[in-house]
Amino acid sequence: MTTVTVPAEPRTVPALVVDPEAIRGCGADLRAASAQIDDLGTFVAGGARIGDWTGLGATSYHDAIGPTGRRADAMSLALRAVARRVDAHADEMARLRTGRDDLVDARTDLIRAIATLRAEIAAATEADAVRLQLESDGLARRVTAFEQDLTTWVDAVGAEETAMAEAFDRVLTLEQVERAYGGVADPADGALATKPPAGATPEAVNDWWDGLTREQQLAVVVAAPGAIGNLPGIPARDRHAANTVALDRDLADWGSLHPDLLTDDERRWLDNARAADEARREIASRADPATGEPITAQVYLYDPAAFDGDGRIAVSAGDLGTADNVAVVVPGLGTDATSAPYHADRAATLYEAARTLDHHQTNATLFWIGYDAPDNLPWEDGWDAAGVVREDLAEAGGARLADTVDGLRASRDGEPAHLTAIGHSYGSTTVGHGAHDEGLAVDDIVVVGSPGLGGDTEHASELGIDPGHVWAGANSNDPVADLGNHGAFHLEVLGGLGLGDDPVEDDFGAHRFQAESTSRGGPNPFLDHSKYFDHDTESLANITRIVNGDYDAVRHADHVYDPWLGGPEDPEAQRRPTAPNTFDG
Amino acid sequence: MEVVPVSVGVASRAWDEQHLDLAAASRQIDRAGSDGFTAAVSGTAARFSGAWTRFAGDLGTDCESRADGLRAAITEYVATDDLSFHELLALGAYLTETR
Repeated sequence: MTTVTVPAEPRTVPALVVDPEAIRGCGADLRAASAQIDDLGTFVAGGARIGDWTGLGATSYHDAIGPTGRRADAMSLALRAVARRVDAHADEMARLRTGRDDLVDARTDLIRAIATLRAEIAAATEADAVRLQLESDGLARRVTAFEQDLTTWVDAVGAEETAMAEAFDRVLTLEQVERAYGGVADPADGALATKPPAGATPEAVNDWWDGLTREQQLAVVVAAPGAIGNLPGIPARDRHAANTVALDRDLADWGSLHPDLLTDDERRWLDNARAADEARREIASRADPATGEPITAQVYLYDPAAFDGDGRIAVSAGDLGTADNVAVVVPGLGTDATSAPYHADRAATLYEAARTLDHHQTNATLFWIGYDAPDNLPWEDGWDAAGVVREDLAEAGGARLADTVDGLRASRDGEPAHLTAIGHSYGSTTVGHGAHDEGLAVDDIVVVGSPGLGGDTEHASELGIDPGHVWAGANSNDPVADLGNHGAFHLEVLGGLGLGDDPVEDDFGAHRFQAESTSRGGPNPFLDHSKYFDHDTESLANITRIVNGDYDAVRHADHVYDPWLGGPEDPEAQRRPTAPNTFDG
Repeated sequence: MEVVPVSVGVASRAWDEQHLDLAAASRQIDRAGSDGFTAAVSGTAARFSGAWTRFAGDLGTDCESRADGLRAAITEYVATDDLSFHELLALGAYLTETR
């Protein structure tokens, strides 16, 4: 009787208890702390020197502070290096964890195949022996290959753990820090010395950045996050890294003090920092519908003290540097930095819809609180002509928006993104000014709930792009969308207070898309002004199709028209709204 | 006597700010901790975190001492100047011939 030799079951894959995200958090904390320590070195070299103080006391003081600065510089460099190693460790452990999952699957398959073979052997006759031995030999080769892969993986885990532990070990004492980093020039210094002057184009900034070594770039991120975090032309991932350092530092600084010790300004800045923190967490807490992975959050703009404390914040859902489709959402009335969590929810919702409707493309949706929007909400504060209806804030905002878009364009490598600017409410006026006045470098313009795109824009063809790529949506029950000029009646005649023509009116020349809500109506009509980004609405579905470049799928709506007799007519008011699916979550 | 300008007071406040910033940095390093690392690394990570929490805290304490030192210089100068002022007043009585 012939014996068939069956391979032994492969070894068990060792457990790997690791949390790469927590490790990344550790790296971020160390990097932010490094930035604080670096600030001390900078302070000792500059602000701590008291030029008009002379005498023995002054000499003694200036002699004494030098070593403190040197120690701070060395500590900052050491901590920065460890933070970088921790980041790399997080990446490598994430890769190894995925590798382990693959090994576990492979082992399961092998065990199943071995069991199947044993069962076949048990039921086999002598005539099957040769065939079964051949099968067994093939299986043995697979087991051997698996064992080699497993050994390679175990070795890689061990090597990575050793490398990380050594990185910690190398700077466990201040003597080690001094030996390794004392008197060493900060790579950031040379890099910053060649930084283009203020006012340089995003292309010039991007050329400068690309000309630096990665070590220099990472050094600048930590040593001078404020110098690049909001600078057009810097790639999104590096802006995010710098703004994360700045944000974490601010949260630690202001958050650690009793509120009574903070100035009024600092309290507002802390509120803005906390809002930015909440916004990035909101996005990262949501899952990509296509992959199930957490949505990438990038802090693209962070300036908590801007606009007299209203602040500037922009955070994206998705990677702005690589996404096929990038959407910039510009909010309107009542927006300041503390609104960031609310707008993060919108950005994440639009991202979810975009990935649900077309998972073959990649997306990034950026909420952009980058201008000084009117603070007052008419449904809470009453109509405030000085704040809401004037266009000056939209004009200034349009210029800033154009800078942001230029920066996004210049900072990307490879294929340019399909870029869409989306303006909601007064944000549409800002988008209008950005397009009309500054030549906004976008592929599509979408406005929803728009009170007008500015008094200078009477037709979609005046927005600097093909009017076939200008899109407008308005819920027939939205009172803000009803503010635009209709026919011959212009609000400008009331003391120059209008915001321009209604973009969903037939004369304007934009595509009108369906944007009714199944829940339209109700006692508070202003609620209909805030439904455009809700899941399973006509509005979000159509915005998403435009963002994804799926123009043929956009559901068009009949325009508002203004007959000679009577007021403007909106055919959409008579149509039964639908609820297209935008998310399966 | 050496004059202590107002800029010394400004610098002392700036050192206080550095102290607060470094105290915050110390807490950040403490928070970084060793969570998430494998068992083979977490021990070293914890030692690193503990040591650097102390390093940053000590650096902050140095800053606070520097601020205190500058304030002491100001205090001494103000006290000395006050004494001089009163001596000056007393001397003033002898500046003119009384009879």
